[in-house]
Amino acid sequence: MARVELHDIRKSFGKVEVIHGIDLTIEDGEFCVFVGPSGCGKSTLLRIISGLEEQTSGRIEIDGRDVGNLEPVERDIAMVFQSYALYPHLTVGENIGFGLSLARKPKAEIAEAVNRVAETLQLGHLLDRRPKELSGGQRQRVAIGRAIVRDPKVFLFDEPLSNLDAALRSQMRIELTDLHAQLGSTMIYVTHDQVEAMTMADKIVVLKDGAIEQVGTPMELYDKPATPFVAGFIGSPKMNLFDGDVAAQKGCEVYGIRPEHIRLTDDGDWHGRVRLVERLGADTIVHAEMETFGPMIIRTDGQSELREGREIRAAPMPEREFRFGKS
Amino acid sequence: MKRRQYVIGITALAATFVIFVLPFIFILLNASKTSQDSAALDFSLPDRWVFFENLIAVVQARDYILLLAYWNSTLITVCSVALMVIFGAMVGYILQRRHSAWNKVIFGFVLAGLMIPPAVVPTIWLLQQIGLFKTIHGMILIQCAYGLSFSVLLFRQFIGTIPRDLDEAARIDGASPLQIFFRVILPLLKPVTVTVIVVQSITVFNDFTHPLYYLPGRENVTVQLTLYNFQSQFVSQMNLLFMNILLVTIPPLIVFLFFNRQIVAGMTAGAVKG
Ligand SMILES: Nc1ncnc2c1ncn2[C@@H]1O[C@H](COP(=O)(O)OP(=O)(O)OP(=O)(O)O)[C@@H](O)[C@H]1O
Ligand SMILES: [Mg+2]
Repeated sequence: MARVELHDIRKSFGKVEVIHGIDLTIEDGEFCVFVGPSGCGKSTLLRIISGLEEQTSGRIEIDGRDVGNLEPVERDIAMVFQSYALYPHLTVGENIGFGLSLARKPKAEIAEAVNRVAETLQLGHLLDRRPKELSGGQRQRVAIGRAIVRDPKVFLFDEPLSNLDAALRSQMRIELTDLHAQLGSTMIYVTHDQVEAMTMADKIVVLKDGAIEQVGTPMELYDKPATPFVAGFIGSPKMNLFDGDVAAQKGCEVYGIRPEHIRLTDDGDWHGRVRLVERLGADTIVHAEMETFGPMIIRTDGQSELREGREIRAAPMPEREFRFGKS
Repeated sequence: MKRRQYVIGITALAATFVIFVLPFIFILLNASKTSQDSAALDFSLPDRWVFFENLIAVVQARDYILLLAYWNSTLITVCSVALMVIFGAMVGYILQRRHSAWNKVIFGFVLAGLMIPPAVVPTIWLLQQIGLFKTIHGMILIQCAYGLSFSVLLFRQFIGTIPRDLDEAARIDGASPLQIFFRVILPLLKPVTVTVIVVQSITVFNDFTHPLYYLPGRENVTVQLTLYNFQSQFVSQMNLLFMNILLVTIPPLIVFLFFNRQIVAGMTAGAVKG
């Protein structure tokens, strides 16, 4: 099994540097998720680890072996693409076995490996179809099958679920988590969906503009975000962040409070008015216009009777307020 | 609206008939006449139908030269089109996928190949210098050179529709660059390959002038040149000339009828549909 280490990885396209020196260790068997907004360099970093893209400088080690100059196969990694990238002219079985057939493995061995994988992923009845005869979720499974058949040390996923609809996505999330538990290999997963990050990761790496913003377990990032950016990125709905006067009053540069950490009570200090109510069933998201603060999102229980235009009073839960850049 | 479409349709059909079908019928009729009858060159039914006699006469003429011509033409067509497909696909692939300063230069040459008309005399001189003048393989290389630009452009265009993810997935699976090309890309090029094969083989097979310049000599005759031979030999035997035309036109026509649909598909389609 494998531990992945990145030492001061930098990458420039032409004159523009897009990855600015990344140091990171991903432990053996860990499910590590890279999150960050679009264009922050997640895919580029993953492609550098895979060997599809060459780093401008820096060192990559897998299992203590310097792999910086090796071809992808020699690194013993497998990758799943957002577009699935299945070979359209090959059947599902041939797609899964393609890597093995390139390695000139005997036919019987390939067939056995393909069947084993197909069983794990419930693809057995689809082996003779072509990719265009499959549904999105099935294609995704084939792409995953193609990755696991070679039994690599490290799995790389680049937004593998973003082409699926919401229901299928949450199902695949669970399947991937199961798969990780079953295989126990190191997995690196890129997404810009913080729900995927929170639910699947052992370790989350938050990237911003080509640099690491914070690394930690999901709950660490939730409970102790190091910067307003991380605070705003992790958690849904987004944390309420305030700068300027409000923050100055609180003695910091940015003041943050999560929607779920605001209580609606009649003796609250914060006054405001409800602008919009989103009912999700289990809970209710209230968009309020508060005095001094301005717009604020509050999460309350599903039975709430609030209506648009109602006056409300609220208070933060103690110990749940965040103050960033305390002066 | 309906009526107008109808009128346009009929007009188009009529025009097609006049331009394509009438001449063909004219050839067919004259090829079935006796030689005195055909000398009039008019649009009448033959007095006596001698289609098969004419056919045999043409095939046997000048010691079965037509069969030799078929063999030569087929050889030239098959070999040069095969080269165009292989090299066209390879060059198109590299031009589309790899970005380097050389690309512009190479692309410039490709465009030049399309735009600049070939110069005959220097080419003959060059062929003579390298000992390829009056040889079939020299002719094959020339046809390949003339057709390559167009093939490269078609392939390059088509390869643009194949997602780069596929190349990368193959690389992750452990494919070498040649394996990526032959096992992933080339199979996906089938529609455009059919187009190139059909268009180019018809062009090469029907070529009259280039074999005339570069391939003189009785043993090197190609099908189109047999017409020329007939014209000098049987000035008064128009019926045989028309029969010869008929025989020479039929193979490309059959190819075209068979692959018509794929040609259009290959010109317009993308390789990977969702
Ligand atoms: N081949 C390339 N040439 C030039 N610039 C590139 C290239 N690939 C990526 N970039 C730039 O590098 C930066 C990071 O891109 P990257 O694809 O890694 O972002 P990302 O985090 O994966 O975004 P997304 O969530 O949209 O996929 C972007 O600013 C992008 O414009
Ligand atoms: Mg990306």
